Amino acid sequence: MTKIIVDGAEVDVPPEYTLLQACEAAGAEIPRFCFHERLSIAGNCRMCLVELVGSPKPVASCAWAVRDCRPGPKGEPPEVKTRTPMVRKAREGVMEFLLINHPLDCPICDQGGECDLQDQAMAYGVDSSRFKENKRAVEDKYLGALVKTSMNRCIQCTRCVRFATEVAGVPELGAIGRGEDMEITTYLEQAMVSELQGNVVDLCPVGALTSKPYAFAARPWELTNTESIDVTDAVGCAIRVDTRGREVMRVLPRINEDVNEEWISDKTRHQIDGLRVQRLDEPYVRQGGRLRPATWSEAFHAIAAKLRATRRERIGAIAGDLAAVEEMFALKDLLVRLGSTNFDCRQDGTALDPRWGRSSYLFNATIPGIDEADGLMIIGSNPRKEAPVLNARIRKRWRTGALKIGVIGERADLTYDYAYLGAGPETLARFAEHPPARLSRQIWLVGQGALARPDGAAVLSAVARAAVSTGALTDGWNGFSVLHTAAARVGGLDIGFVPGDSGLTAAAMASGGVDVLFLLGADEIEVESRAFVIYIGTHGDRGAQRADVILPGAAYTEKSGIYVNTEGRVQMGDRAAFPPGNAREDWAILRALSEAIGAKLPYDSLAQLRAALFKAFPHLARIGAIMPGNPDDVRKVAMRGGAMEKAPFRSPIDDFYLTNPIARASAVMAECSALAERAAATAAE
Amino acid sequence: MECPLTSNIRRGQPPLDIAGYERVGGYQAVRKALATMSPEAVTQEVIDSKLRGRGGAGFPTGQKWSFVPRGEAAPRPKYLIVNADEMEPGTFKDRLLLEGDPHLMVEAVIVSAYAVEAEVAYIFIRGEYRLAAERVERAAAEAAARGYLGRNILKSGFSLDLHVHTSAGRYICGEETALLTALEGNRAIPRAKPPFPQAAGLWGRPSVVNNVETLCNVPHIINRGAEWFRGLSLGPDGGTKIYGASGRVKRPGAWELPMGTPLREILEQHAGGMCDGYALRGLLPGGASTGFLTADHLDVAMDFGSVEKAGSRLGTGTMIVLDDRTCPIGMLRNLEHFFAQESCGWCTPCRDGLPWTERILAAIESGEGEDGDLAVLEMHTQCLGMGKTFCAHAPGAMAPLESGLRHFRGDFERHIRTKSCPWRT
Repeated sequence: MTKIIVDGAEVDVPPEYTLLQACEAAGAEIPRFCFHERLSIAGNCRMCLVELVGSPKPVASCAWAVRDCRPGPKGEPPEVKTRTPMVRKAREGVMEFLLINHPLDCPICDQGGECDLQDQAMAYGVDSSRFKENKRAVEDKYLGALVKTSMNRCIQCTRCVRFATEVAGVPELGAIGRGEDMEITTYLEQAMVSELQGNVVDLCPVGALTSKPYAFAARPWELTNTESIDVTDAVGCAIRVDTRGREVMRVLPRINEDVNEEWISDKTRHQIDGLRVQRLDEPYVRQGGRLRPATWSEAFHAIAAKLRATRRERIGAIAGDLAAVEEMFALKDLLVRLGSTNFDCRQDGTALDPRWGRSSYLFNATIPGIDEADGLMIIGSNPRKEAPVLNARIRKRWRTGALKIGVIGERADLTYDYAYLGAGPETLARFAEHPPARLSRQIWLVGQGALARPDGAAVLSAVARAAVSTGALTDGWNGFSVLHTAAARVGGLDIGFVPGDSGLTAAAMASGGVDVLFLLGADEIEVESRAFVIYIGTHGDRGAQRADVILPGAAYTEKSGIYVNTEGRVQMGDRAAFPPGNAREDWAILRALSEAIGAKLPYDSLAQLRAALFKAFPHLARIGAIMPGNPDDVRKVAMRGGAMEKAPFRSPIDDFYLTNPIARASAVMAECSALAERAAATAAE
Repeated sequence: MECPLTSNIRRGQPPLDIAGYERVGGYQAVRKALATMSPEAVTQEVIDSKLRGRGGAGFPTGQKWSFVPRGEAAPRPKYLIVNADEMEPGTFKDRLLLEGDPHLMVEAVIVSAYAVEAEVAYIFIRGEYRLAAERVERAAAEAAARGYLGRNILKSGFSLDLHVHTSAGRYICGEETALLTALEGNRAIPRAKPPFPQAAGLWGRPSVVNNVETLCNVPHIINRGAEWFRGLSLGPDGGTKIYGASGRVKRPGAWELPMGTPLREILEQHAGGMCDGYALRGLLPGGASTGFLTADHLDVAMDFGSVEKAGSRLGTGTMIVLDDRTCPIGMLRNLEHFFAQESCGWCTPCRDGLPWTERILAAIESGEGEDGDLAVLEMHTQCLGMGKTFCAHAPGAMAPLESGLRHFRGDFERHIRTKSCPWRT
């Protein structure tokens, strides 16, 4: 720690801090446009100038480290002044320059009300301009479906360029032209192809880059902000859902250093137009081969009648990828009361089983653990598509030069370099038998592409064996890490939403094992049998089309729910809006149904349900925390063995933009998907 | 009078080839340094010589070298980069040396690289200097064939690869950190200092960037000693200096003279004085990014300290002369046009401020100036000053403007008052 005096007050800060950070630590606010904590330092906006005592010229506080300051003549700590007339004048000068070419079109700008330039102009600007010449005009650029440009407003801070190059790892943005003619653009104005591109809108300190789907939709002061958790993948990014009335207007990231830092994927941000279309807003009952709208009691009646005529072992339930823990808990409870052991949350058939211990299905290294890892083996996964934000974390570590990466599976552009070792189980077996040089903090990341296959259990065992034999499990470090793709999956495994004794798996249920099948938002599985399907969900997707009775549920923004992410981190999202029409929260539907079929669930409120849930699974009550698994579970899995097939591993995700019913209903996601396909086709040529 | 830098240069003659260069004592400094001196000793000799950088800033060369990490623990490779991106308006001294005596450049690179223990050297040559690049490349090839470059030079254990790089052409590449960025293949944008290039320069490795003329002094310092070098000068800064003059003087050109030669002597004796019918109004002593001196300053010695005391900078030492039949506002407009165009666009004040000054000056020159314009120009001279901008480009651009506003105030006011340019009627 180093002492430094800021505006007369002494503070103790790490020497690698910039003066800007030191000033903030001392409580002095420093205006900035180009500086961003998670990007490299540009130092070009010049708004953060401060006076460094002893230096004849002002210094850009963002680009000057505390350790680069010289002590005073008698060895006093270096001194920074942030409120002198010289500093004020310098900043006013910068503001004048920024505004001469800025269009000042705040009334029609989507950034209005949450614009750094607007805010700082209130502090350092004046109400008239001495600039009588014509303003610079810059043509707007086409950047794709998500980012709208108004390049006249650009102040060339280059945050977007640095984000694309450094964090997203897709150096698509850059500057052309020099001097006044400098412009930010993509190469030949091609659409951006990053799955994280929406973040440049958050980063842009002015209205140059705004959200295209959200254009002119709302003003920030009209919106209600609700803290929630993303469900588009198993990372569990912290999000803020902005609503106006009943409508979700936008999703923004919240900062959670342990999970998403402050990034979210484009699917997280932009699938929300799918919340408005294809919605199931009233119950349906199939009659004469066609679904017709019905009342809740009609729907319950139809179910009750069917259940009465069905033997208990011919009843089953499959939970989908977006389900919250509460409704899975209620559904499992209901099935148990009906006397069935047929329930499964693994609609993709992944070979994970809670009976092998929690450590056998968690991303044990944890996401912050990636920042400490020195080796990463990716098996049967494309993290860029399966968990873009986690992939950015891997890239962040890789950029430090301290992470060696190997891939077994599909060869893909992951935004970082890796050693490609092989396509499938044979390569994996080689590693299990002949471990390579040891690293001290390894992660063996295994994806669903390696596990959701007939030999998945053998692959899981082989990965565990390789992890154990290469020393990825040491004291205080468990590098065996399963990357999930479904937000509901770990929660489902945690509460044992898997077949009980002589129970049937999802695949067995879907192919004729049961006569009555509950689908709790399970849209990724084809029900081939003639079973009576009760679909509880939100969208007219695959499950609803197959259903005999539809019970309209609530999307993730319309209910409070617990989700457990791939690390095993328990997180809770709040309700931001109400379900449309007659749709209801899923747990409440199950509670009402249970009464109608004479198997009443013993909770009348969500609070009571949670109390029961926490009693059965105490770790779920610790929101934000991870209950670590026992590394011995991994060693036991390693001993299980099994024969692996020769087929290469394939990522379970073909189209990043269309992985869930909400995204599939979204026009924005459809456009992104089409653009990505075109880009891939061009690249292939 | 000794002219070590230009002694091999003959007007209208091709430069010496390696045989001819060796005949006049060429590559002796390489032999001497590599065989008998340690890198530290070479550096010390250059420190003692009081050689200061000839690129414009005048930083003591030996001191710059001494900041480079040395020994086994130093990051490798280390680089020596010659800044031959001579784009300062009115400056053509490095071109003279590169075209006239390319082997001196190559020898200077070898000795200097040895001093900082660099194993790779680049000569970054302005794109338009094709002849210079050709000649230096040929000289480097000849030197390599003779064993002065490459592995284990003269069996000394010292190895050096020399690459000649021609710039894609931007004024900002003359700024040493922008030069490094350009050399790495990126958009030429300056870097923040610290870290200085000596600690983290080209590809993050220790690097020294020196001007052509600066380095060309080094072989002579090694051959003949620091004391001899200091004795060449009339003032406190060692050596000779290539001074130049352009504008309406009788004999525009460049001459190697003792460091500290008075301005009057350069202008009247060597440049032959003003053309007939023209009187001196002012001059920029060291290229476009130095402030105006006037006829009152003719007795100033052209060394770093004296020119600074007179309110300007020695810069490159090649002066641009303003005569009484040229509109000073027009000259300033032309200069600011150049600087605005050559701004890299990276930082706000430079990117947005310089074009503004150009437009105001153009308005004043064409009789459309208004009250308040001078206040805006003065605001620029402050808000584009040192530290306010990312690099020294905009502060350099403000030097002639700030001094011009002082020395030619009456002309500015007359333009605005009469709504016309007196030189145009």
